[in-house]
Amino acid sequence: MNLETATRYRQALDYISSAVGHVDARQRALERFLASGLPTPRLEDWKYTALDALERSPWHAPEHARDALPDSGDTPGTRVAFGNGRLVHTGGQPQREHSLAAHVDDARARQVFDSLAGDAALTQINRALWQDGLWLHVPAGQVAPPVFAVHYASEADAMLHTRNLVVLEAGAQAVLVEHYRGVPDRAYWQNPVTEIVLGEGAHLDHLTLTEEGAAASHTGLAVVRQARHSRYSALSVNIGGRLVRHETRVNLDGPHAECRLDGLFIADTRRHIDQHLHVEHAAPRTTSRQTWRGIAAGRGRGIFDARVVVHAGAQQADAQQSSRNLLLSPHAEIDVKPQLEIHADDVKCGHGATVGQLDEAQVFYLRSRGIDAVTARALLLRAFAEEALGWLKNSGLAGWLEPHLAAALRLQEGERTA
Amino acid sequence: MNHAEVSRADERNPELASRVADEYRWGFVTDIEQETVPRELNEDIVRLISARKNEPEFMLEWRLRAYRHWLTMREPTWSSVHHPPIDYQAIHYYAAPKTRTQPKDLSEVDPELLRTYEKLGIPLQEREALAGVAVDAVFDSVSVATTFKDKLERLGIIFCSFSEAVQKHPELVRAYLGSVVPYTDNYFATLNSAVFSDGSFVYVPKGVRCPMELSTYFRINARNSGQFERTLIVADEGAYVSYLEGCTAPMRDENQLHAAVVELVALADARIKYSTVQNWYPGDREGRGGIYNFVTKRGDCRGDRAHISWTQVETGSAITWKYPSCILTGNDSVGEFYSVALTNHHQQADTGTKMIHIGRNTRSTIVSKGISAGSGSNAYRGLVKVLPSAANARNHTQCDSLLMSDHCAAHTFPYIEVKNASATVEHEATTSKIGDDQLFYLRSRGLSEEDAVNLIVNGFCKEVFRELPMEFAVEAQKLLAVSLEGAIG
Amino acid sequence: MLEIRNLHVAIGDTPILAGIDLEVKAGEVHAIMGPNGSGKSTLAQVLAGREGYTVTAGSVRYLGQDLLALEPEARARAGVFLAFQYPLEIPGVANVQLLRTALNSVRRARGEPELDAMDFLDAVKAKLALLGMDEGFLYRAVNEGFSGGEKKRNEILQMAVLEPRLAILDETDSGLDIDALKTVAHGVNALKHPQRAVILVTHYQRLLNYIVPDRVHVLAAGRIVRSGDASLALELEDKGYAWLTHDAESQPTPAESRP
Repeated sequence: MNLETATRYRQALDYISSAVGHVDARQRALERFLASGLPTPRLEDWKYTALDALERSPWHAPEHARDALPDSGDTPGTRVAFGNGRLVHTGGQPQREHSLAAHVDDARARQVFDSLAGDAALTQINRALWQDGLWLHVPAGQVAPPVFAVHYASEADAMLHTRNLVVLEAGAQAVLVEHYRGVPDRAYWQNPVTEIVLGEGAHLDHLTLTEEGAAASHTGLAVVRQARHSRYSALSVNIGGRLVRHETRVNLDGPHAECRLDGLFIADTRRHIDQHLHVEHAAPRTTSRQTWRGIAAGRGRGIFDARVVVHAGAQQADAQQSSRNLLLSPHAEIDVKPQLEIHADDVKCGHGATVGQLDEAQVFYLRSRGIDAVTARALLLRAFAEEALGWLKNSGLAGWLEPHLAAALRLQEGERTA
Repeated sequence: MNHAEVSRADERNPELASRVADEYRWGFVTDIEQETVPRELNEDIVRLISARKNEPEFMLEWRLRAYRHWLTMREPTWSSVHHPPIDYQAIHYYAAPKTRTQPKDLSEVDPELLRTYEKLGIPLQEREALAGVAVDAVFDSVSVATTFKDKLERLGIIFCSFSEAVQKHPELVRAYLGSVVPYTDNYFATLNSAVFSDGSFVYVPKGVRCPMELSTYFRINARNSGQFERTLIVADEGAYVSYLEGCTAPMRDENQLHAAVVELVALADARIKYSTVQNWYPGDREGRGGIYNFVTKRGDCRGDRAHISWTQVETGSAITWKYPSCILTGNDSVGEFYSVALTNHHQQADTGTKMIHIGRNTRSTIVSKGISAGSGSNAYRGLVKVLPSAANARNHTQCDSLLMSDHCAAHTFPYIEVKNASATVEHEATTSKIGDDQLFYLRSRGLSEEDAVNLIVNGFCKEVFRELPMEFAVEAQKLLAVSLEGAIG
Repeated sequence: MLEIRNLHVAIGDTPILAGIDLEVKAGEVHAIMGPNGSGKSTLAQVLAGREGYTVTAGSVRYLGQDLLALEPEARARAGVFLAFQYPLEIPGVANVQLLRTALNSVRRARGEPELDAMDFLDAVKAKLALLGMDEGFLYRAVNEGFSGGEKKRNEILQMAVLEPRLAILDETDSGLDIDALKTVAHGVNALKHPQRAVILVTHYQRLLNYIVPDRVHVLAAGRIVRSGDASLALELEDKGYAWLTHDAESQPTPAESRP
């Protein structure tokens, strides 16, 4: 990293240091980040994504939180809003009870905060520069009302190192929706790190809608640790941004822990979406399911890289992965890497991956019923996308997602090929 | 089944246990006078090898370019295999049976060598040889005999050692050498390009269908030597050739390096079928010794409608690292990869293929069967790449793993990269173990447990075995059975 | 209503239909019979506008228009309906969604107002009752996981909802038990109208016990080799096809390949 760039990051820490705690730890993380620099495609996990654009941009710490947020649709439950990385007032009331900055030194938060995030370069810079993010703590046995966290960005050249921490104690249940969005023409960088700890028998339903502005970069990491009999159902819908790379890592640490990591991405225009999943079956009788659907159109590029590791001794692990992808235009690209790494023998593991087009026989069938070709394709595209929405359909969140999904499926004019 | 049960099975059946210990029947050493070059690697060694083979200037130049490039490279670390560092200065890069002149026919070959191949079941006397199979026998660094040469010559087919091809057909060697695997390709291929000693060369002229299977039998004998052979097969327009490759080595408790390169060129309408039964010494059951098999194999379907298929049965070697690949340049060309890889005890295999679709309507099929037993580790690593030019490209990949012990490992690492919207690529992978109920069912019909296991394993591998020529398929089944002895309790 | 003149059709270089002449008037039911590979299904597919077939000669006029010039959806909107021999499964698209989108497309083309959700449901429920079908049928994905009989009934339901002028049923009777066959026949008979016509493509006579045709045509090797009234079907039942197709097959045989 050259001196000028390094100076920018140091200035960013100087700028925020009066408002945040633990500055020494932040300094150390910053220096580690500066020593390694941003990841490059020479690293296997970054093979398909180059961060040259991030490297060159004049990032600075956000100067103002935004108070007036655009409507995020009808959100049943608690709405928590973050503008440019900091908590903002909504309806006159800041939701301080859900601000991580306000709670990070609480006893319970201290026990788990930063215990899962690891030490990749992008995590180090988040560790150095984070200002706020969601804190969701559900005590044992309680059922929390749904929480809608909106992360809104509006400042050009701002880097937002959002930090979220979700802790569900034993038997707790929660529904969490995260919505990342921003002003379309501002080039900002959202780099969230989310840690999720699920106690014994806890259940979390987690919808993440990444709908960043068209000029934005988003590099996210979510790390989940699951105790026995816990259940994590996640759906990632990636339909925005210029460059998006998101990584979800799940550790199934206790027997009978279950996770479901589903997702949908639509890489149209010049969008680059690189989606990574990593599941560790570290205990016997653990289950993971991954159902992903990807669409690439225009000059978009979609990447799906998923690895399932079954540890020695994790007998009767059950892992199934399905990745189906559609390439809709001559300049689009799809790259898929479904991987299995198995160190036990009594397991049920498999994956299927396809890259192809809409089925022309189905298109003809619909046309023979009087439906025009454009509508027929739209119907089939919609049906394809819905295959990824499995658990969401019965969750009450489908209605909230619908307008966003419908808009995204109306691909840019001329991107659908005949 | 767990490790404790294996040990118990061995105690109950000492005879089986002893069979497992000396299961590698090809492990003997031939006592023959050898000439070697010093154990080191530098430009002088490269020059010495080239001079020993009386090579033309262009070959020496090529080797030196490769050597200089190799010095700038680092050993790859991306695969799933693990081994102690290799000391490239401690290897004899050239070892050959001592003879004054190149033997003109079998009567001039050292009888000890002929006995060696006899013992390996590869008779080199043509009257005793397997009908319909022509053999090139490579012993350490050099080819010692090639059978049926005259018969093939009458059809215009060239089948000889690489050294001979360099002398007699330099124009062909010059035109095709490095045209599929350039000397800059990868660490081991680059090393091979600098120091390769011999190998086989095949040229099948336009429109000729080679009437017999061509076969090379590789044997490593010398201690502390590496084997770096290079095979080049060119099928001219409309030609057909089926080529078989077999390999064994003595049991030695050090690791030996085998870094070969195979290049296939299929012009328009040509078809090359390349089959391998690889049975290098795998090391003992504690993981001592065995061959490091780091091989680069690649075929180029250079003309329209060309067809290359790779079939491999990999049961030997301590470590196997090879990815026989197809570059589908010609329109309507076809690439196939059928593989069985078995790892037992402490063997490691990281194998697979690359299918690069460049031409229109190109098709590829990948069938990979991995069997992991003992503490063996088995990885499929493959790339299917469809370039923007490859309209209507099709690929189907099936990767299955069979797990036979709770401390083995099976990995699947496919890469799929599609840049053409009319392409269809499908990949499926499954993992299974031999079910107790399957075993019980077969045993209740009177099969021994070992027979039952063999039956199930053979069924698992059937799609691959049926791609092998008949004699080889039988050999492959036997090999699998021997390699699995004692693998399940 | 439909006039087919000297129709020649090929798949790639392989000729399938070698000069079909057929006229179907409003109010008529025609049966097209013939052995496997005679070109029956090709004729049905070409009328519906399936890609992959080349019309090498001849013409098809439908209600005074050049049918072959129309896109598949334009044909459907003009009232041509093909019940597929092998109805496609479309996971993720509910039957009700297909029916409503299709019906409103057809109504728009006819200059009729689109039906709102309530009116649409009422209309569809009436058709379901007519065919003895359960309402749950509407909310299942199109043909996904349907039995053979359910798929065929679903085709008839679509036909009943769209009310075409010219219905072409391609082997709709194959694979049906007798109860399902009666249901299908009932659906077709209910559609009969002096302004509508039906073409039944079938291998067997038994459907014709329930839907009595005005004309029966025997197709062999891409040509109509015999036409007659309903009694021809009974004759075929007795004698098989060989006595009719012998001549046609002694000529160079265009093969039918099923897509």
